[in-house]
Amino acid sequence: MAGIGYDDHDDGKPGFFARWFYSTNHKDIGTLYLIFGIISGIIGGYLSFMMRMELSEPGIQIFENGHAYNVFASMHGLIMIFFMVMPAVIGGFGNWFVPIMIGAPDMAFPRMNNLSFWLLPVALICLLISFFVPGSASGNGFGGGWVMYPPLSTSGAPGPAFDFIIIGLLAAGFSSIFGAINFITTILNMRAPGMTMHKMPLFAWSVLVTAFLLLLALPVLAASLFMLFTDRIDGGTGFFDPAMGGDPEMFQHLFWFFGHPEVYIMILPAFGMVSHVVSTFSKKPIFGYLGMAYAMVAIGVVGFVVWAHHMYTVGMDVDLKAYFLAATLVIAVPTGVKIFSWLATMWGGSISFSIPMQWALAFIFLFVLGGVTGVMLANAGVDVALHDTYYVVAHFHYVLSMGAVFGIFCGFYYWFGKMSGYLYNKWLAAAHFWLFFIGVNVIFFPQHFLGLNGMPRRYVDYPQEFELWNQVSSFGAYITLAGVGFFLLMLVEAFIRKRPAGANYWGDGATTLEWTLSSPPPYHQFNTLPRIEQNDEH
Amino acid sequence: MAGHAVEHDYHLIPPSPWPFLSGCAALVWGLGMVTFFAGLVDRTGSSPMAEWFFANGLDTLKSSLTGDGSLSGGWIILLVGCLFAAYVMYGWWKDVAAESAAGDHTPVVDIGLRYGMIMFIMQEAMFFVGWFWMFFELGLFHKVRATWNPDILENAAGYADSMAPGVTSVDAWHLPLMNTLILLLSGTTVTWAHHALMHNDRKGAKWGLFLTIALGIIFTWLQLIEYAELFHLRESGHEAWIGNNAYGSAFFMATGFHGFHVLIGTIFLFVCWVRLLKGGFKPEKHFGFEAAAWYWHFVDVVWLFLFAFVYIIFAMNGVAH
Amino acid sequence: MRLVHNITASLALLLIMPGIAFANKPTDGGYWLQDAATPVMEELTKLHNFVFWIILGITLFVMVMMGWIMFRFSAKRNPTASKTTHHVGLEVAWTIVPIIILLVMVVPSMRLLYFQDALPETEMTIKVTGNTWNWEYAYPDHPNVESFISNPLEKEDAGDLYLLKTDASLVVPVDTKIKVLITSSNNLHSFAVPAFGIKMDAVPGRINETWFEVNPGKEGTYFGQCSELCGVNHYKMPIEIEVVSKEDFQSWVANDGAFTTAVVSYDNGSIVLQD
Ligand code: HEA
Ligand code: HEA
Ligand code: CUA
Ligand SMILES: [Cu+2]
Repeated sequence: MAGIGYDDHDDGKPGFFARWFYSTNHKDIGTLYLIFGIISGIIGGYLSFMMRMELSEPGIQIFENGHAYNVFASMHGLIMIFFMVMPAVIGGFGNWFVPIMIGAPDMAFPRMNNLSFWLLPVALICLLISFFVPGSASGNGFGGGWVMYPPLSTSGAPGPAFDFIIIGLLAAGFSSIFGAINFITTILNMRAPGMTMHKMPLFAWSVLVTAFLLLLALPVLAASLFMLFTDRIDGGTGFFDPAMGGDPEMFQHLFWFFGHPEVYIMILPAFGMVSHVVSTFSKKPIFGYLGMAYAMVAIGVVGFVVWAHHMYTVGMDVDLKAYFLAATLVIAVPTGVKIFSWLATMWGGSISFSIPMQWALAFIFLFVLGGVTGVMLANAGVDVALHDTYYVVAHFHYVLSMGAVFGIFCGFYYWFGKMSGYLYNKWLAAAHFWLFFIGVNVIFFPQHFLGLNGMPRRYVDYPQEFELWNQVSSFGAYITLAGVGFFLLMLVEAFIRKRPAGANYWGDGATTLEWTLSSPPPYHQFNTLPRIEQNDEH
Repeated sequence: MAGHAVEHDYHLIPPSPWPFLSGCAALVWGLGMVTFFAGLVDRTGSSPMAEWFFANGLDTLKSSLTGDGSLSGGWIILLVGCLFAAYVMYGWWKDVAAESAAGDHTPVVDIGLRYGMIMFIMQEAMFFVGWFWMFFELGLFHKVRATWNPDILENAAGYADSMAPGVTSVDAWHLPLMNTLILLLSGTTVTWAHHALMHNDRKGAKWGLFLTIALGIIFTWLQLIEYAELFHLRESGHEAWIGNNAYGSAFFMATGFHGFHVLIGTIFLFVCWVRLLKGGFKPEKHFGFEAAAWYWHFVDVVWLFLFAFVYIIFAMNGVAH
Repeated sequence: MRLVHNITASLALLLIMPGIAFANKPTDGGYWLQDAATPVMEELTKLHNFVFWIILGITLFVMVMMGWIMFRFSAKRNPTASKTTHHVGLEVAWTIVPIIILLVMVVPSMRLLYFQDALPETEMTIKVTGNTWNWEYAYPDHPNVESFISNPLEKEDAGDLYLLKTDASLVVPVDTKIKVLITSSNNLHSFAVPAFGIKMDAVPGRINETWFEVNPGKEGTYFGQCSELCGVNHYKMPIEIEVVSKEDFQSWVANDGAFTTAVVSYDNGSIVLQD
């Protein structure tokens, strides 16, 4: 049975159907993930543009009611996080480059790798179905936020819409868990001879730490989703139902125990990619390599004990808040180590400002901006004024829509030639970068003002005092839309023109193993394992 | 490099239909879950066909449990999903076993499988962290919560006590103690089987494994008896069941999920047993068996935690009397 | 175009902004915290501003560094890259300095946290219940004031204050330490009044508490909005609080929770006669 549709060509590639549906090749699976990420990015982007259009002036313009808006906001958050960022950075770039970078011919469990991928379309289908089936009394779909707090997600959303989301997220969760097992095993067990842990490229390090976060955080999300599921059943459990002695607050603890590591899951791989790009285009090895690697480990570890900073206003004990305040601030230290090491890597370098480097530089700056507003929010006292306002929205879009997404584009332009074998058009790519850079800043910078001034999140309509900055913000969304357009144009153009990319089109600075292979790499690379010299420096 | 001879020991796998089919099975199963537990159409009687497929199947189950039996349908998609998934798993693992027999599992691949199994058990452990966290929160802060509840502020203490009957009927020193001993014993029999296998005493291995499986089945059986008793207590007026209070919910979720794992572990061991009978496994190479044993020990340890906290300790501090 | 008009108007506003005091509701084009009406909010604003300067400094530092590096070490200006990859002194410095900054930050932060949270001897209690979708207010210390529901006003009635104005505001005395008990009848809500520096979730099955004390001379109407997603009308359950002098409050209570015609009420800080 194992060979269905299997047809050996000269290069070892199977026929179309077997190659893309029955794949066991890490590069092909990586490509599937990237295509999936782009599709989800467009869906998630569409949802956000609809929201921005709605919010461009006071009054309810587009949506039927607040519920419809909430559905869009919730699905936007879920799709962007679970179906755009995670598949792109871990499934896409991780699959493509972790095995190559450590000198392995493939992932440890190639079949399970494909299972990880195929669970995602299943999950996305479930989420998309949920749009069209009854949610609450006010309409179709689930509008309880991406955080899905009960009672709004139990008694507040009686229809099957939310059940579909639970099933979808469980599927996505298991996809990530299997992926994590695969990455950990691959990295620990399949490094090429001479590739010690301390010689391993930083992207592989970042994926290793991320995989551990996934492995330990996602089961807790799955458990809490499962409890929501049984709580929702008529005559079912009552974990979060106060009438049965349960506690809705408990869900928030469980959710954020997953949720906070989750935000580092999204940003650590971006850290890894940015490290490579910064080093490549400064023509210098990474500064403080070990510090960089262990800073990520530290972020991962501390990331597990800060979760309740999302819950400063739920009525927690004040000493607990004090603890979470202090613990949260600690994360700024290893993150700072990363930022300053990047700066030091560039210092004394010979920097060329090619497209990936532009994304990397923008990433560093905008991530710092988003990071420091996180530090503001970490101060429990101040968070009372800012919690659940647009200040938080601004914070997390700076670290996500600019941090994680800029990291994705950074890696995408860095490796595009390697993956596709073609070079992109620099002008289209530059237009994409600048429209995006300006656009997202125009969207999200004013949202700090809205938040400080008190505008709450998840509002379909707002008092007229908030009009100005919302208008500006929506205007920025149109600029960003144009940016996404140029991204797609760039893709189409590159695949039409087919300018061949050489093995190492970035020159001296690019030193990791993928640059020793052709572009695109052979279907199975490293039939003879590479040997890493003992004195190789990073 | 294409066409170049392979000079490494890793196991490259040709394209396989199983992952994609697993995805398809997951989709059917997911649709079945939502249909069974939530229902996609109401039972209005207007379109019997659609209702038979898509109405809430849990209601059907309830109506047949109470002997009423007036409702039907709602379970078929879930059943198909489960069978589909079982078929895919069978096919997948058959391939794996065949590859193992063909010698594809070189030492380095074997180590990889070990890492994989350890990671899998780690994530299972985090699952149980979720249930235990919920359980401790409910158990430890139960009375605190009672004083918060505005509806019962007048009689907070009474409220706290009223929660108690949830699991009073489960006496740690009867069936649960028995189950503890059974699982501990099964831990030793599986180790016996392992040692026998390593010393090429295949007969001993078969017996050890057989006993382990038998003990696993007895455990599940006793657990079902315990549940059935609780169910009858509820029927006869005692308020002891899932839908009754949060403590009961946590009790059933934690023990139920554990029971589910015992079931998986038993099947896992059973598969190993069949392979053993068919002449599979060698003294120096039998990772499939070891993985099953690891899993079994993990399930065992989780039970010890359940027994200590859910059955003994929290029964003493008054929460469960 | 409306946007262009608004931007020019607000640029003009930006110039004079530091001079004018913000009102007790959001400000058109406002870009800072709302004006403080309570000691807690004053402290909160102080801490915010303090942290703000720190994070602004860090951001500017990184920005200037990046600018300099991009200028000085561009391939044009610096054709051959150095190979330095270690500098223990630097690495220690950029670990220690952030730690010091954070230690400096954590002290006032903790002080504010405990100031907000440690309930002082309060003089009066009000009870707030979040319903879907309105607020219910009760005065346990004043039995003759019946609990009442505060519904949002529709656009026709609220005018410019749509989504802030209600049909019945919570009335509290100035210069009084008031304990607020907050709970919910179904979904989560959050009772938030920016000018008071309070935000506390309303959770079914749980009673949360917080407190505020409006500074003397700060009588007026204050607005807040529900700040925890609670469903279809989450955006439409505003909070309106009327802060009156102690005497007016007494007479309001004496009048079973209604303003007599003789009593003035306060709207946006300006005194309006009741009709
Ligand atoms: C990629 C995602 C990502 C990342 C990396 C972060 C990073 C951080 N976040 Fe963020 N956060 C989110 C995604 C992310 N967050 C999301 C999605 C939410 C909202 C969820 C929701 O409610 O829907 C959220 C919400 C959120 C809250 C809750 C707000 C609220 O709801 O009231 C808080 C509070 O503490 C917080 C804090 C932080 C901190 C301290 C960091 C730190 O890790 C930042 C560290 C970085 C720096 C500090 C900058 C670089 C450092 C230096 C240059 C060194 C010198 C600096 C100092 C000495 C300060 N975040
Ligand atoms: C990664 C996460 C992510 C990203 C990228 C974005 C991007 C955007 N978000 Fe998102 N947002 C969230 C996560 C994200 N958001 C979350 C978690 C919430 C909270 C939800 C809740 O309240 O429950 C939220 C809420 C939220 C709100 C608040 C809603 C409310 O509270 O009422 C708003 C309003 O303006 C908004 C707008 C936007 C806009 C205009 C963009 C634009 O930047 C969009 C531009 C488009 C893209 C950035 C996509 C481009 C990417 C690709 C095309 C894929 C490329 C892939 C490869 C190359 C492989 N978002
Ligand atoms: Cu009430 Cu939001
Ligand atoms: Cu967080």
